[in-house]
Amino acid sequence: MIELRELTKRYGRRVAVDALSVRVQPGVVTGFLGPNGSGKSTTMRMILGLDAPDRGEALIDGVRHRDLRWPLKTVGALLDAGAFHPGRSGRAHLAALAAGNDIPASRVEQVLRIVGLSGVAARRAGTYSLGMRQRLGVAVALLGDPAVLLLDEPVNGLDPEGIRWIRDLLRELAAEGRTVFVSSHLIAEMALTADRLVVIGRGRLLAETTVAELAAGADSLEDAFFRLTAQATDYRGVEAS
Amino acid sequence: MNRYGFRHVARMEWIKLRSVRSTWWLAIAAVLAMAVAGAAVGLGYRSHTPVATAAQIFNNSLAGAIVAQLLLGALGVLMVTGEYGTGMIRSTFAAVPRRRTVLAAKAAVCGGLALTAGLAASFAGYLGGQLAIRGTAIPAASLGDPAILRAVVLTGGYLGATSLIGVGVGAVVRHSGAAVGTLFALLFVPMIAAGLFGESAVAVGRFVPLLMLLNSIAVTSPVPGLFAGWVSVLLMGGYAAAAILCGGVLLRHRDA
Repeated sequence: MIELRELTKRYGRRVAVDALSVRVQPGVVTGFLGPNGSGKSTTMRMILGLDAPDRGEALIDGVRHRDLRWPLKTVGALLDAGAFHPGRSGRAHLAALAAGNDIPASRVEQVLRIVGLSGVAARRAGTYSLGMRQRLGVAVALLGDPAVLLLDEPVNGLDPEGIRWIRDLLRELAAEGRTVFVSSHLIAEMALTADRLVVIGRGRLLAETTVAELAAGADSLEDAFFRLTAQATDYRGVEAS
Repeated sequence: MNRYGFRHVARMEWIKLRSVRSTWWLAIAAVLAMAVAGAAVGLGYRSHTPVATAAQIFNNSLAGAIVAQLLLGALGVLMVTGEYGTGMIRSTFAAVPRRRTVLAAKAAVCGGLALTAGLAASFAGYLGGQLAIRGTAIPAASLGDPAILRAVVLTGGYLGATSLIGVGVGAVVRHSGAAVGTLFALLFVPMIAAGLFGESAVAVGRFVPLLMLLNSIAVTSPVPGLFAGWVSVLLMGGYAAAAILCGGVLLRHRDA
């Protein structure tokens, strides 16, 4: 379980995440929705201890990330499709991270098979396509067989087959009783993947709901999302003519 | 073991270091640079009159360390900035949140490799010089001579320490280009500045990396007024420790 308590992050005078309190439960896929710049990635970075919150805390199974005994065996994360050195092979990238948490080398080959990168594992990761980079990121997340998974925009750059693969994988992981927290700005995709939704705008919690509840009373889930975030969208274009 | 420790993190860093090509290019280039400089010095003195002394050949044949220190220093810098430039650092800290353990492991692994490469380079410089003067009247310098062996080993130590200074500078500056520039400035600017001190230049110069290398470490007997070679190398180790400590303090407080 992931628990955010009054989580707050400021960059100068701008408040990126504003007293966010959420519980993300195991056993279901929880979608993390919000417009661009609403604080989704910042929240995920704070859960992983990469950014320090100005106030509040983020707990994974009741423990702060920095106090975890075996971080990769507790929480797996896909942060962005570029969190690797382009000159290193996919296999060496995974082997290094595995070594840091005493994960056996056999597990590296196993996750390479799961994400379908076994055939290209010896190639430098910089030569991978965007879809392959995402798969490498998913492999890192799965490396420690963690009970909590955190994925920031996992379907970015994936082809339709890859999107379906991610969707099935996430649902399978949740069905095994894991906590799966997936951010996206694609509402339609979240409708297919997620059971529960956490919606934020300008760093504030707008709704903690289910896909069914949000869609009820609106023509579409998209309309419901726009209505919810109307007051909390920073960047919006106008009609061209 | 119920928690990750330095042992695991050091293995992680070693796999990372050995699995990028730049590591090996820089290490090999450092050895080659010293071998070539040593040989060039020897060849240059072959037909020199009066006949060169053993110390002359030996001291000059280690001059390639000026280039080798930049290459191995860059190796240390890239070990840290390479991760910030690519986003790898986020994967690293997500796996090992204790950041100072990561930095310590980087220093240990990089220091070990750079010391090995530095010793190999230093020996290559010595050998290059000696091979190039074979068959001439110039007396050979033997590694059996304690003064010669000491200078070769201490030069390797100096190069290892320079790489560690690179790790520290990399952790402070985080941007590859800026960090390499900073390291080069730290190595060269003090030497130029020391010249401005006039009569007390030696008193200042004995604390300056490059002057220590050329006048106290990579020579059979130090220039009067400078520290003994081993003191100079220890001083370099102190600079490295200070740089890494600064990096460690900043690492803890900055967002990744």
